[in-house]
Amino acid sequence: MVLVVLGLTGWSFYGTEFDLVELFSSTRPMERFVSGMFPPDFSAVTLRQTGTGLMETFQMSFLGALIGAAAALPLSALATQEPSTVGASRTERLLRAIPYHAARLVINVFRSVPDILWALVFVVAVGLGPFPGTLALAVHSAGILGKLYSETLEAVPNRPVEALRATGAGTLQAFLFGRFPQGVIGLTSLTLYQWECNIRSAAVLGLVGAGGIGQQIIISMNLFDYSKVATLVGATIVAVLVVDGLSTAIRRRLVY
Amino acid sequence: MVRFGETLALDDLSLEVEPEERVAVIGASAAGKSTLFRALTRTVTLAGGKVTLGGRHLYTLSKKELKDVRRRVGTIYQSYNLVPQLPAGVNAALGEVGDMGSAKTLRTFLTGPNRALAKRVEAALERVGLAGLACQRTASLSGGQQQRVAVARLLVQRPDLVLADEPFAAVDPLTTERLVEALFDLNGEGATLVVNLHDVLIARRFPRIVALREGRLVFDGPPEQLTEEGLDRIYAGDPYGTGASTLEGGEDTLHRRHDSVRISEGQDGISAH
Repeated sequence: MVLVVLGLTGWSFYGTEFDLVELFSSTRPMERFVSGMFPPDFSAVTLRQTGTGLMETFQMSFLGALIGAAAALPLSALATQEPSTVGASRTERLLRAIPYHAARLVINVFRSVPDILWALVFVVAVGLGPFPGTLALAVHSAGILGKLYSETLEAVPNRPVEALRATGAGTLQAFLFGRFPQGVIGLTSLTLYQWECNIRSAAVLGLVGAGGIGQQIIISMNLFDYSKVATLVGATIVAVLVVDGLSTAIRRRLVY
Repeated sequence: MVRFGETLALDDLSLEVEPEERVAVIGASAAGKSTLFRALTRTVTLAGGKVTLGGRHLYTLSKKELKDVRRRVGTIYQSYNLVPQLPAGVNAALGEVGDMGSAKTLRTFLTGPNRALAKRVEAALERVGLAGLACQRTASLSGGQQQRVAVARLLVQRPDLVLADEPFAAVDPLTTERLVEALFDLNGEGATLVVNLHDVLIARRFPRIVALREGRLVFDGPPEQLTEEGLDRIYAGDPYGTGASTLEGGEDTLHRRHDSVRISEGQDGISAH
């Protein structure tokens, strides 16, 4: 096992042209870049633009997580493997398998495509701005949350769900009253975490024109206005930390 | 016949229960009581033989037919198996879940039981001594209280058949007494009872006792016919006893096993095994 890891490491180093010497010897361009960033630009215009950008980023991330969660819930419900009824006929098993695999496929497609690629797709579809960015985050979140939700729901204690089925509950009922209530705290926690991730993604989606503070960062970079970049990046870091902190605080309060 | 790998959990077991009968099932640990329960609820695969409920072959029913049959069968378990995050009243209301269509299910999920159901739930909770606790989160209730909620669910469901798998194993004697009475009341109202029991004293209150040993039926008759020697045979070699403390293995302590441990009134919680 260790040999395999070592082998993979060496092969990856070779393939990615990893070169520490090159990193430490190319200080000149880095020096120019960093010195251009200080002092950061705190002019009124820049600060206002930073504020707008942050707000947009926040809105994109929040809505993306919310819509993603709303879409993920029914998807994950279908994608949760229920212990199949003992003695069920082959037709029954097949009928159960189809929505399961279809939902899994949708979830996997949504989450395998990186959000920035989704952003590119939506920018082509609806134009530039925060709207395609929000859509991209929603789709990607739906995929990630769909998978995490279904894993959480599958891990929930089975006995109460079986007890409900033994009383005559159907699949929907056993899910709504048995599986979902036991998993809801976990699902909420995951959604809050996804919001955290979205803030970081939203900052980047602007690089492809999908709104948020990233859009202003790329514009400033292209204009070589590094002091403005410093302000924008600094503000982004602060925003991410704030949302991270908020999300962690709320998650800690959730009672299982 | 039920097989788990190499082990025959139930072997050559033939049992017939008439409607409105009260049957206690006893036996040592791993004698097959729980497996019998699972066979009757179709939660275990049959390697042979058949199970009929009300003349219908349980294991050949379609999904819809199975659901219809299960609506008429109430179940309670040693570990309650309620949904801990839901309020006690909702858990009890779920006795009616088999009768709910999709619309009613969604409405109940979003807004709680409707007024008629809530009234029945309150009445059921009162009958088991939990009046006013409908809004209490189930997880915050004690073990005895939770089992009472489970029985309240049965009262709401009003099943034709009640299957119980060691329902009093984790419940104090006072609550046990109350729940036994509730079950007998249900029987009086027309339900058939098949109850797995670890406590032989309680079993003796049933008009018919069935004993399993190593997956086979070794006794089937009224409690008067169940002698000490018979009990010795049923429980011989059982290291876990019938609710009393663990034995260090000894034939003369067999008799001690049959007494239930009397804890003083009002103490809830898991009784010692």
